[in-house]
Parts: sequence; structure tokens; C-alpha cells
Amino acid sequence: MTSSALISFDRVGHSYRSNAGVLVPALADVSLDIAQGEFVALLGPSGCGKSTLLYLLGGFVPIRDGEIRVAGKPVTGPGRDRGVVFQSFALFPWKTVRQNVRYGLERMSLPRAEQEARTARLIDMVHLNGFEDHFPLQLSGGMRQRVAIARTLAVDPAILLMDEPFGALDAQTREIMHEELLAIMARRPMTTVFVTHDVREAVYLADRVAVMSARPGHIKEVVTIDLPGRTEPGVQKTAAFGAYVERLWGLVKNEAVQAAAGR
Amino acid sequence: MIGRLGRALEATGTVLVLLVVWHFVAASGAFSDFLLPSPEAVAARIIDDALSGDVFASLARTVVTALTGFAAAGLVGAALGIGMARVRLVRWFFDPLVSIGYPMPKIAFLPVFLLWIGPNFASQVTIVAFSAVFPVAVATRAGAEGVERTLLWSARSLGTSAGQLLWQIVLPAVVPQMLTGLQVALPVALITTIVAEMLTGGDGIGGAMLGAMRFADSPGVFAGIIVIAATGFVLIRTMEVIRRRMLRWHAEAAS
Ligand SMILES: Nc1ncnc2c1ncn2[C@@H]1O[C@H](COP(=O)(O)OP(=O)(O)OP(=O)(O)O)[C@@H](O)[C@H]1O
Ligand SMILES: [Mg+2]
Repeated sequence: MTSSALISFDRVGHSYRSNAGVLVPALADVSLDIAQGEFVALLGPSGCGKSTLLYLLGGFVPIRDGEIRVAGKPVTGPGRDRGVVFQSFALFPWKTVRQNVRYGLERMSLPRAEQEARTARLIDMVHLNGFEDHFPLQLSGGMRQRVAIARTLAVDPAILLMDEPFGALDAQTREIMHEELLAIMARRPMTTVFVTHDVREAVYLADRVAVMSARPGHIKEVVTIDLPGRTEPGVQKTAAFGAYVERLWGLVKNEAVQAAAGR
Repeated sequence: MIGRLGRALEATGTVLVLLVVWHFVAASGAFSDFLLPSPEAVAARIIDDALSGDVFASLARTVVTALTGFAAAGLVGAALGIGMARVRLVRWFFDPLVSIGYPMPKIAFLPVFLLWIGPNFASQVTIVAFSAVFPVAVATRAGAEGVERTLLWSARSLGTSAGQLLWQIVLPAVVPQMLTGLQVALPVALITTIVAEMLTGGDGIGGAMLGAMRFADSPGVFAGIIVIAATGFVLIRTMEVIRRRMLRWHAEAAS
């Protein structure tokens, strides 16, 4: 694959062992290159293997079939270069907001004062000032996901992996989080892989949308989103936006029907 | 003011009712003083023993035995539970043993420990630890197996090595269930201590009660029961306070 890509999926497959002991293919022959700084959304019907692909890239699930390279090196396990945000937040519930955000910094050999300063800056960035000493269970869903984002960004990953990060939030909060994410990205660009099954979300956030087929998942089509002035208000009401949504809807719906029929 | 008094009355009401009924039943003469001493006589005995220091010596012995065995059960049970959840070899070896041992009356092993160790403090602590270790191990294992994988993955991608996961994530995540196991184990430890003292003699409350029975000293027997009940109550309440302190972050404390 091209050498300019930061992330290369090279004929990646994955099978899970079912309870009966048989191997069930979840992913087959996925190849995709992602350039430095790009925001790629993985879109597809439920169960098509989006999360699996992200877990393989994260190094959480061992890669047995094909290869994933990050900056030219094969992925063999998790690393600080790939930060991750889950739908379920995955905060450490016994730690306060401040302790959660600081967790990754404590594992780097940084002076204490530097840790504190960076933690404070990140809490400020996600607008959680005043909640530093709250525990995750005392926060709303949107606030929890902000903590998770701040915790991940604290260690300065080159790549951000997000698995339906706003899927558990109400529609209003989700919209606010979209804008905040774009604002954070504008200040600190990151190569992002974002799993979703929300078509509008994909069009609004991504530079490219990779549509996945029903199980076993592979990349069916990659659509480049070219929306000038994405961060300006009202972009979601433009004809160009609507056309992208419609086109992707068509692709996904087709797959969803097939996925449902295959059950 | 009224509210506080009301709550205090509510909390102690059952005990007061029982004491009043006990007083009148004893005073009615339906039972002899020997079978049912009056609460006043029992209270007088407790005060006497307290003044002479006897009660504190027996109580200290019993509490030290129970808490030493309980602490050992806590350490071993936590290690065993986490080991069973995370190390295949440990699970393979201990899973059947725990399944068989958990529902068994552990006191049946007392003669074995007496033979091996002798009728002393060490054998009492051993039987107490042996009885109390099971609930801790079972609860800790369930907790360790239930740690969400996304928590472990997040920690790994934030720079935690695979070896550090145990201390950084698994152990703190398992604390609520481990405490639940310890809360089950505490009364077990106390019960086993008293029974072991009764069976082996010795200086504890159990031994003192047995002595009182031999001398047909029924206020002494009843005094023992009341001291044990009060001690158990205090220990369990203390444990609840510790739990609340440790789980300030937990859902049950968040409200
Ligand atoms: N641990 C597992 N064991 C067995 N099968 C699994 C496991 N995890 C996922 N699968 C199966 O693999 C397939 C892909 O799952 P995956 O979670 O990657 O899909 P997804 O696209 O993220 O779905 P969703 O949109 O519902 O989150 C599904 O059919 C799922 O049932
Ligand atoms: Mg998923």
C-alpha cells in the first residue's frame, strides 16, 4: 500500500469462536489506507464488524489474519500512540474527574507540576471546571464522555479511535459534542477513526466515510466528503450535505436489509 | 430534637420490648431463676464482670482470634479469588475445591486442626480463617471476572503495562464485591470463633460460657450471649462504616 498512509489495513480478517466452538467470520479482507490527519468514519449495519476492526487497530484483540501497520510498523498490542474512546465511557469509577484525566500522565515520567498543569488545561478544554473532584457516577452522560476524551487526549496520541462515542447520549447532547469535537480537532488535529451507524454524524464529522458490508464485514465503498465550511452553522441544511446523507443512506440500507435477511 | 429521639427509639425499640417481655416472664415465676434468670440479674453479672475486668479479658481473646482469622481469610480469599479469575492454572486447581468446600460445615475440620496444631490460639485462628475464606474468594472472583474489558483496554492504551493492570485496575475495580464477601465472612468468623472456643475450651467468651454452664451459673451463660451479640453488632456496624468510606465513588454512595 502507499507509504504516505499513517494507518494501513492490509487484507485484515477476523473470526470469533462461537459458543459451539465453530469459527464465525466477522471481518474478511479489509484493506484501507488512512492518511496522517484524516478523519475516517466507519459506517455499517449492526454486527458488521466495525468495533472488531477498531479493536484490532487498537491492539486489544490479536491480529491473526492480515496486517495492520501504524507509521509502517505492524500493530502487536495497545500503545499510547492510539488513544481510544468507547461508547460506554470506560472511566475508572473509583477515580475523580481529575484523577481520571491524570491517569495516563502519571504513567509517563513527567514532573508532578507538569502533570497538574496539563490536567487542568484538559479539564478546561472539555468545560468541566468545577467538577474536578466529582466521581464519574455523579456526572451526566455527556460530561462522562468529555472526561473520557480529556483522559485520552492527555497522553497526546497521534491517532484517536472512537467507537460510537456519542451513541449513548441524547440527541441534543450529541450535537453539542459534535461541535466540541470539531473545535478540539481544529486546535489539535489528529488522525481519527470513528465508528458509527449514524449517517448524519458520519457526514458531519468525517473527511471520508468507509461503508462496510454486512457480515463478514469488508469495505464496500469509500465516500470522500467534500463540504467547505463544515464548522459553520447551517451546514447540515445545505443541499450538498443532504446529498451525501442520501447517498450513504442508500448504501447502508442495502446492507442492513441483507444483514437482516442473513440472520 | 424530637426527630432524633424518635429515631433512637425506633432503632432500639425491638430490644426494649424484648427486655420488658423478658423481665415480666422472668418475674412471673413460670420458669425457675436457673432456667431463665431475670434481665436485672444478667445485667448485674455483666457489670460485675466488667468491673473485675474478666469480661474484657475474655472478650479481647475472642475478638483477637476472630479478627486475626478474618484478616487471614481476607488476604488469602482476595488472592485466591483474583487468581481464580485471571490465572487458568489456579482456576483449574481451586475451582472444584471451592465448589465442594463452600457449602460444607467447615467446623468439621476442627479436630484435624487440633491434631495437627494443638488446642491453642493458632488452631483456633486456622479454623476461623478456613471458615471465612470461602465467601471472600467467591465474591472476589465474581468481581474480578466482571471487570469490563474496556476498562482494561483503556488503561493499556494509556500506558499501563499488562503486568500493572492487576494493581492499577483489577484490584480497585474488585473492591465493592470483595467488601461484600468480607461482610459475609465477618459473622462467619465470629460464629466459628465462639464455637471453636466452646469445643476446645480456652479463655474466650465461648470458653467462659462453657465454664459458667458447668457451674450451673445461668446468669453467666446469659451474660455471655449478650456480650457476644453486642460485640457482633459493633463489629458489623464498623464494617458498614468502612464500606461507606471506601465506596464514596460507588453508585450506592452517590445519592
Ligand atoms: N467476543 C465475541 N465472541 C463471539 N462473537 C463476537 C464477539 N464479538 C463480536 N462478535 C460477533 O462479530 C460480529 C461483529 O461484531 P462487532 O461488535 O465488531 O460489530 P459492530 O459492527 O461493531 O456492531 P454494532 O454496530 O452493533 O456495534 C457480530 O456478528 C458479533 O456477533
Ligand atoms: Mg460496535
